[in-house]
Amino acid sequence: MPKTYDAIVVGSGMTGGWAAKELTEAGLETLVLEAGRPITTADYVEHVPPWQMRFRGLDDRKKRLADQPIQRECYACDEYSSKFFVNDHDNPYTTEPDKPFLWLRGRQVGGRSIMWGRQVYRWSDLDFEANLRDGIAIDWPIRYADIAPWYDHVERFIGISGEKLGLPQLPDGQFLKPMALNCGEAVVRDALAKHWPGERVLTIGRCAILTEDHNGRAACHYCGYCERGCVTLSYFNSINATLPVARQTGKLTLRPFSVVHSLIYDKKRKRVSGVRVIDGETKHAIEFRARVIFLCASTLESARILLNSATPDFPSGLANSSGELGHNLMDHIMGGGANGKISAPADKKPVGRRPNGIYVPRFRNLAGGPKSTFLRGYGYQGGAGRDGWGRGTDLPGFGADWKKALRDPGDWGFGFYGFGECLPNHNNHVEIDKTKNDAWGIPVLKIHCTYGDNEWALMKDASIAAAEMLAAAGAREITPFVDQNPPGKAIHEMGTARMGRDPKTSVLNAHNQAHDIPNLFVTDGACMVSTACQNPSITYMALTARACDYAVGAMKRREI
Amino acid sequence: MDRRSALGLLTATMAVASAPDELLSLGRSLHQRIVNGRRRVLNAQQDASLLVLTDLILPATDTPGAKAAGVNAFIDLLLAEWLDTEDRDRFLKGLGDVDTRARAAFGKDFLQGTPEQQAALLVAFDDEAARWKASPEATRGPEPFYRTLKWVTLFGYFTSEVGATQEEHYAIIPGRYVPCAPADTLAPSE
Repeated sequence: MPKTYDAIVVGSGMTGGWAAKELTEAGLETLVLEAGRPITTADYVEHVPPWQMRFRGLDDRKKRLADQPIQRECYACDEYSSKFFVNDHDNPYTTEPDKPFLWLRGRQVGGRSIMWGRQVYRWSDLDFEANLRDGIAIDWPIRYADIAPWYDHVERFIGISGEKLGLPQLPDGQFLKPMALNCGEAVVRDALAKHWPGERVLTIGRCAILTEDHNGRAACHYCGYCERGCVTLSYFNSINATLPVARQTGKLTLRPFSVVHSLIYDKKRKRVSGVRVIDGETKHAIEFRARVIFLCASTLESARILLNSATPDFPSGLANSSGELGHNLMDHIMGGGANGKISAPADKKPVGRRPNGIYVPRFRNLAGGPKSTFLRGYGYQGGAGRDGWGRGTDLPGFGADWKKALRDPGDWGFGFYGFGECLPNHNNHVEIDKTKNDAWGIPVLKIHCTYGDNEWALMKDASIAAAEMLAAAGAREITPFVDQNPPGKAIHEMGTARMGRDPKTSVLNAHNQAHDIPNLFVTDGACMVSTACQNPSITYMALTARACDYAVGAMKRREI
Repeated sequence: MDRRSALGLLTATMAVASAPDELLSLGRSLHQRIVNGRRRVLNAQQDASLLVLTDLILPATDTPGAKAAGVNAFIDLLLAEWLDTEDRDRFLKGLGDVDTRARAAFGKDFLQGTPEQQAALLVAFDDEAARWKASPEATRGPEPFYRTLKWVTLFGYFTSEVGATQEEHYAIIPGRYVPCAPADTLAPSE
């Protein structure tokens, strides 16, 4: 008789780490299953200088094209950090030829929390009420008041640096002191404050990077390459923060190389009873049992596991009596913005590599404000900097004087890069592609996803508004753009197992618990009902901690 | 400069003209490649030409130059392992054209010219690259060989240990972020 754990958590990344921490701290014997290899801080390469890399950071281009033709589309999948991204041949998926989708994935202990973008923005009721207000899809079953204490809980633990603004659309959080704007960014901030007082606000990015020592982790030393790891544990990821706490409880079993095939459903009890795993190395099948199961495998992987877990009772996928499993896939649309050269102090330059930029919170379609021709809104990330030696290619001349001229910093440049909300659409969905298996013999996903007119309208407006703001700041050589990014590129994929009040139209309830199967929880991005325009990880983490608290209570009450 | 633009620059197509004498010179370079054991793609003459060209672009001053940084060896690595065959051949063709231009200008291969003759030729290349950049051609490619060379020399130099530490004062661990430091602070501009 195999051991029955109190809880199994599938995935060890952003949300899996949180589930592990919360469940073990509540005293549950918890098994965390991670598909990929174990990594430790010894795998971190943030302090390796370019001259110790074979291609000096230009990447092993031919190898990347051969092994990771999809993953390399992510800026972080480079010569240093490509080891944190999957091999595309071992981990295939399919799309229709004219509907590209980028599934950018990390399979290792820590998952994508190792190389995430670290931007942290709370949602507000502008976001939680959006679907109801617009009559689109279904309403969120929760409001800001439900999640606010859990944002506090998560932020206090992980440490978020940021500036309080008092904006209703972007609630303030539990902040450590903010990083500094450089003097180019201050010029643009002041121009926005002058031309759009109270409406368009430029602030330093709110990020999961410590500016002060916090919970045994050191403040950032500005080496600048968080996606390569951090030996001082200064940015948040699960191996730096949540998993060590879970381990300290003595209740954690972490099993890497555990590729989850599907969940085991007990028809008589109408519960999930365990997990079917393919060992990542030996490829042997193995099963694990638990009283409660948390899927924290990432939006698409959690959907895939449930779809691959179909039974006679759930022929179209486990916990899918609503028919919504796999549907309503979303990803932020990104890449509407503008660049320009700004007039900032010529005798100043920023020094040190700040792994963070600026943020301009959403200013379109706010409560009580003017309505745009499109729904929802967008926010900007970006920043200012001065050209370095790279400008030498087009700086006329060569030789000693030219080399000396390159010692002076070049022009001040500024860029706004927009991230817009993606509307839920039932037609954007995933299904199992029965014609293809991955390297472990598990059927893969076929992904059908395209952006609609509203998403592109947001990015067009984002490019115009960015150019307008640069003009207001006195910029020259202003270049507006709308990058034609396919969905998936923002790596903010959401939906496929949405929350909701009605079991007929949603997969999960207000506590991320499957309507159909009370001991099954899904707390990664799959649960999202809409996308807002803010980076989503902090919301996933808060929902995970909240769902864990609920599950522990339900277990104590013997409901599950 | 990010990796994507670097890739764009290095793979930017350059015009190729084929002619019998170029086939002959290809045969010659293949022979010299066998003779030269130090480099994997560059023959001895190409290697020596690149050493001079890169060091003219970034010479030793109060800090070491491209020669000390081994930029020619880094270019050889990119030619051997990074570039596709077509782009590698275009680069080598462009390098060969430097000799063609040298013979037209001063009647000798580039390496046999005086430092003044070599520098004068680079002035011409530099002017041509600037004119190309300002022309409508720049949005369509192909970029001149010299512009590719100038970029890869900069990249190879500033990512080398001597270039990064002695010329740019690059620190692996800056330790702090100074948002508005004096512009002459000995640190890279970020």
